[in-house]
Amino acid sequence: MPQEPQISGMPQRHRQIFFWTLVLVFVLLLPTMIFYTTGYRLIFDSDTETTMVTSTGGMYVTTSNLDIDVYLDEEQIEQPRLFRNAYYIQNIKAGQHRIVVQAPEVHTWVKELPVDPHIVIEAAAFNMPTTPRLRPITEYETSEGAAVYQGTGTTSTIFANATVTEAFVFATTSSVASFSINPEYEFVETLFGTSTASTTSVFAQFIRDMDRFRFISPEERTATTSTTTPEVIERNGVELLNRGLELYAVWRGSENGIPFYFCVTNANASTTAFRYGQHVANAVYATSSATSSPLFLVDDRTCRSEIKLDRLRQDVYLFDFFPGSSDLVLLHLEDGLYVTEIDDRAWQNTQPLYLGEDFRAIIENDIIYIEENGNFFEIIPEIES
Amino acid sequence: MSDDSHLLPYARRADFKVARANELTGKDRRFYRFLEIVPGVAAWATLVGIVWASIYASFFAAYFIIAFAIYWVLKTIFLSYHVRYNYKRLKHHLELDWGRLIERFKCEDYYHLVIFPYYKEPLEMLDEAMKGLAEANYDLKKLIVVLTAEERAGKESVDQAYQIEQKYAGQFGHFLVTEHPDDIVGEIAGKGSNVHHALHDVRVKVIDQQKIPYKNILTSIFDIDTVIYPDYFNCLIWHFMTAEQPFKSAFQPVPLFTNNLWEASAVSRVMAMSSTFWQMIMQERPDKAATFSSHSVSFQALYEIGYGQANVVSEDSRIFWNLMVANDGNFDVVSLSYPIAMDATAAPTLWGTIKNIYQQHRRWTYGVENWVYLVYHFTKNKKIPLRKRWAVALMQGEGYWSLVTNPIMLFILGWAPIFLGTREFHETVLSYELPIMVRNLLIVAMFGLVVSSIIALSLTPPRPQGYSRFRYIVMALQWIMVPITMIVFSAIPGLDAQTRLMFGRYMGFWVTPKRVQ
Repeated sequence: MPQEPQISGMPQRHRQIFFWTLVLVFVLLLPTMIFYTTGYRLIFDSDTETTMVTSTGGMYVTTSNLDIDVYLDEEQIEQPRLFRNAYYIQNIKAGQHRIVVQAPEVHTWVKELPVDPHIVIEAAAFNMPTTPRLRPITEYETSEGAAVYQGTGTTSTIFANATVTEAFVFATTSSVASFSINPEYEFVETLFGTSTASTTSVFAQFIRDMDRFRFISPEERTATTSTTTPEVIERNGVELLNRGLELYAVWRGSENGIPFYFCVTNANASTTAFRYGQHVANAVYATSSATSSPLFLVDDRTCRSEIKLDRLRQDVYLFDFFPGSSDLVLLHLEDGLYVTEIDDRAWQNTQPLYLGEDFRAIIENDIIYIEENGNFFEIIPEIES
Repeated sequence: MSDDSHLLPYARRADFKVARANELTGKDRRFYRFLEIVPGVAAWATLVGIVWASIYASFFAAYFIIAFAIYWVLKTIFLSYHVRYNYKRLKHHLELDWGRLIERFKCEDYYHLVIFPYYKEPLEMLDEAMKGLAEANYDLKKLIVVLTAEERAGKESVDQAYQIEQKYAGQFGHFLVTEHPDDIVGEIAGKGSNVHHALHDVRVKVIDQQKIPYKNILTSIFDIDTVIYPDYFNCLIWHFMTAEQPFKSAFQPVPLFTNNLWEASAVSRVMAMSSTFWQMIMQERPDKAATFSSHSVSFQALYEIGYGQANVVSEDSRIFWNLMVANDGNFDVVSLSYPIAMDATAAPTLWGTIKNIYQQHRRWTYGVENWVYLVYHFTKNKKIPLRKRWAVALMQGEGYWSLVTNPIMLFILGWAPIFLGTREFHETVLSYELPIMVRNLLIVAMFGLVVSSIIALSLTPPRPQGYSRFRYIVMALQWIMVPITMIVFSAIPGLDAQTRLMFGRYMGFWVTPKRVQ
């Protein structure tokens, strides 16, 4: 039997050695961690067979769909585990990089953006379905809620080049006794009956305004101009308005709250053109001399307060914010309904939502309705994930 | 005029037993009040400072948070290592035959004075405590047992002591029931004042009567839910006999809150085991420890300071600081690394348990009043080595500061620059990498919890009948609650206690109900 316990308390020296070892680890780890989190990376250069410290930047891309693939310079990015609609891409060398967001059955979104060391550049991707998705709205519906089309017909006659999201039936008799009236139909019918939206184009309105000025004196013109204010739609500080034949997105909020795509890195014209495209450089330097909406600085970035929207050189029948977004705009053009982004860095991605020349569209309560050949539909812009 | 010749010179000072600033006058009063304000101001300044820095100096705040997260990981490694080391020692001490180990010492002349203060705890709890004593591997005739009731608890509560006396008195050398009056001026109702009264009573009624030398008495002050392990007194006397300066040492066992562990809720078990782990860590750092809860000390040492204070909330630690200050810094804590079993906090409902744990921890963290006391006396007692004064003051201060601020900084304010930072900051890689880095470091720190979980399971008493094996899984997984329990039951009650002290809204003693009745 031992006379003493075999395990004594932790010796002071032992504790001190352990403590100072951890202090040393802290001293070594802290600068390493700070360098890492600020974007410095150790990169092995296979050409020179040397390891060097490189400054990297990042890219933060939000997407409107969950099941999509993201590529940076042709290389697929691993899907995030938690926030699946937001991609933070690390370790990007400074320079121009192409980001592609794609998936089957949706349009591809592509952007080329400049990445700066230690800075994360943001982008918001969107992908509309390649085949439009329609929800039928009929006057009558079955007890199960299925839309009822009267008369004989086929799916292809009503939903040409589209998929239907909800069940519907063709009623072969004219009797509607077994069906119930769909109140939504009445609502939508009233909407299209009372609204002029989507029937008068921006071009027609412009010509009408020009005609009005043609036979009046300059004094009268000044007085009249103030009454012909352009149509303005506002959401989250962004205004959509037409000026002449063109459409603009204008930032009306506080300077600090301005969306990222209104701003560019402070640089000369050629650098700005190289980084964001000639049209952006032109816009920035045209704005720099304007008095009505001058450039302003936010931190060290130059911001313009308006961006011209790409209308594909077509006449615009309707423009509004895309439902649930203040970064995307819905345009009813001559050959169909399109969604375009306000972000014009590199280029504006514009994707068709519903093609055709003979339909009317209207947005009510963030729902897109169309009327074609006497039938009403809701356009479902998302694909099921 | 009272005779204070038995007191140590420093313990004769009028301000030796000061509890609050308003008990002093003039410059001393202002200084003490200033010290009462310091912990609360330091804690609030840190928390507000992080928010302020996140808004106006986001980059600095981010670097600070990274540094702090690394520090936390390393601290977790450091402390986990101590827990593991002490666990090995604890297991070893439990296996030893302490009765054989003390055979070489002449222990026959030594007595163990065991004081059990109680309030309204059930008879069953008193009985379990006595049963534990009666089953000790020790000559029970060398035990002086004092069951000390509170007059304010009512006759029924006091009568319980006499029932216990009837049942157990014959087994021990001496058995005394005392009743602490509730109208003594200058006291605050609570365990401290009850023990203070009992120590005086037992000296007059038993020790002096039996002419037992004070140096031959080891006093163990136990919470009423304390059930000793059989070799406690053997282990205690072995450490007493082998201590460098036995009369200048307090002997600290490891409190295992396991009496009712199977009945307690998961949150209660986590908090109970967390407290045990902290005490296990302190067992390996006795130079940085103070006494906590149930502990033992020579009666002579207590007599020399007039039995400690009857006017403080955190009396279990204050008694150590009284002893240290009165002995000019020459007083140690000796780790027993031997367990005593106590109750985890419990209530009939989960909400009740949460409330009780909160209040219990607010009372414990009100121990910050001890920092005020010791810093005040460090400025008065210049005989304490200057280095020791600084070391103890800084270490204790850091302990109370980190208890309150660290969990909040780590789990809440760590994300502040991301939400509050400037636009310029939000555009940087640092802003995006910060949450990833902090999250990863916290995951690494969480491995410390795996160690905790394994050790906690091995310290858990055998599964009683009627409890499913599934509960073991719950007991292993309950540790994921730690980030929440650290905030809700450490940081917030600590901040509550420090804020009260800062505003001079002094707390009273709150008796923790521990057993579901």
